[in-house]
Amino acid sequence: MCTTCGCTVTSGNAKLAREHAGAATAVEVLQDLLAANDRTAVHNRAHFDEHGVLAINLMSSPGAGKTALLEATIAALRDRYRIAVIEGDLETDNDAARIRAQGVPALQITTGTACHLDAQLVHRALHEFPLSGIDLLFIENVGNLVCPASFDLGQHLNVTLLSVTEGDDKPAKYPVIFRASDIVVLSKVDLLDVLDDFDPAQAEASLRALGRDTPMICTAARRAPAIAPWLDWLERELARPRALGPSLRPRIAPALRA
Amino acid sequence: MHELSVCQALLAQVREIASGSGAAAVARIVIEVGPLSGIEPALLERAFAAMRAGSCAADAVLSIETPDVRIRCMTCDAQSQTSPNRLVCAVCGGFRTRIVAGDELRLRRVELNVPLAAA
Repeated sequence: MCTTCGCTVTSGNAKLAREHAGAATAVEVLQDLLAANDRTAVHNRAHFDEHGVLAINLMSSPGAGKTALLEATIAALRDRYRIAVIEGDLETDNDAARIRAQGVPALQITTGTACHLDAQLVHRALHEFPLSGIDLLFIENVGNLVCPASFDLGQHLNVTLLSVTEGDDKPAKYPVIFRASDIVVLSKVDLLDVLDDFDPAQAEASLRALGRDTPMICTAARRAPAIAPWLDWLERELARPRALGPSLRPRIAPALRA
Repeated sequence: MHELSVCQALLAQVREIASGSGAAAVARIVIEVGPLSGIEPALLERAFAAMRAGSCAADAVLSIETPDVRIRCMTCDAQSQTSPNRLVCAVCGGFRTRIVAGDELRLRRVELNVPLAAA
C-alpha cells in the first residue's frame, strides 16, 4: 500500500486504513474472571487445613432457618466438638449475638450492600478470629439463593437449606447453588402437616435433575429439634481424614470440570 | 449486584495485559459467560459500558460468547447438550453427570492497539 497517497485504499478498507494508526495484537488469555477471589479462597482453605478445621459454607434464602439450625447443632455438639461461626449479613449482628448466646465464638461480617460473602471478606475476618483449637467452623452466608454460589470462600463443604415454605421446585429455579451443594437440608419439616403444597419427593426429584447424587435430608430445628440425619452427616464429615494430602473441595462447578 | 465486581476484575486483568504488551488502547475484549456461571451477560454489558470510562478499555468492544451447557454422563460416557436445570444425560437418562461446558466465566482474548513504533 502506498503510504504517500493511500492509492490502494478502497471503499472496503478505507475505515481500516484511517483508524488503525497502530498494529492490532491479539492476546489469548483463558483466565477465570474470579481468579483473584479463587486465589484468596485457596489461601483460606490452606489456613483451615493448617489448623485442622472443617469449614462449612451454609447458604439459603433469607429466613430458611440457617441460624436456627446452627443453634440446634451447637446445643447438640458443643460438648464433643469445638465450634465457631462466621456470620454474614448486610446489617446488624443479631445472628452472631444468637450464636454467642450458645457459648460459642462468633464473628459478624456486615457486608453493607454486598449480597454475598467473598474470599477476601472471610480472609479479613480470619485475621481477627483465631482458629487454634477449633474443630468445626460454620460460615453462615448472606441469605440469597443466587450470588453466594459463585464465590469460593475457602470452605470444604457447601450446605444449602431449603425450607418447606419455599416451594419444592427451588432446585430447578436456582440450579447453580443447588448443584454446588454437597448436601441439601430441608428445614421446618414440622410445618409439613399444615402445608399442602410442598412434596419432599418432588424437591428431591428436582435436585436429582441437576445431575448429582447430592443427599437431601429433613430437619426441624425449633421447639422439639429433630436434626439427627444432619448431625450424622456432620460427624461423618468431621471423621473423614483431612489433615494430610489434598484438601476436600466443595462442589463448585469449576472444580468438577471433566 | 456482583456483575460490577466481576467487571472490576475483568478490567483489572485487561489493564495488566495491556500494560504488559505496551498497548496504547484495547480494541476488543472477548469473554465467555456460560448459563451456569451465575452471571447475566446483559447486566455485565451494562456494567462494562459504565466502568470502562477513563481506562485503557474506554473504547473497547466487549464480545460475550455464551457457550451451551454440555455434560458428560458418568454412566454411559456420552456427552450431551442440556438446559441449565436439567443436567441429566440425554442419551441414557443417567443423573450422575459432569459439566463439560456452560459454567465458564472467563477472559478469552484481548485485542490491543499497539503503537507502530513498538510493533
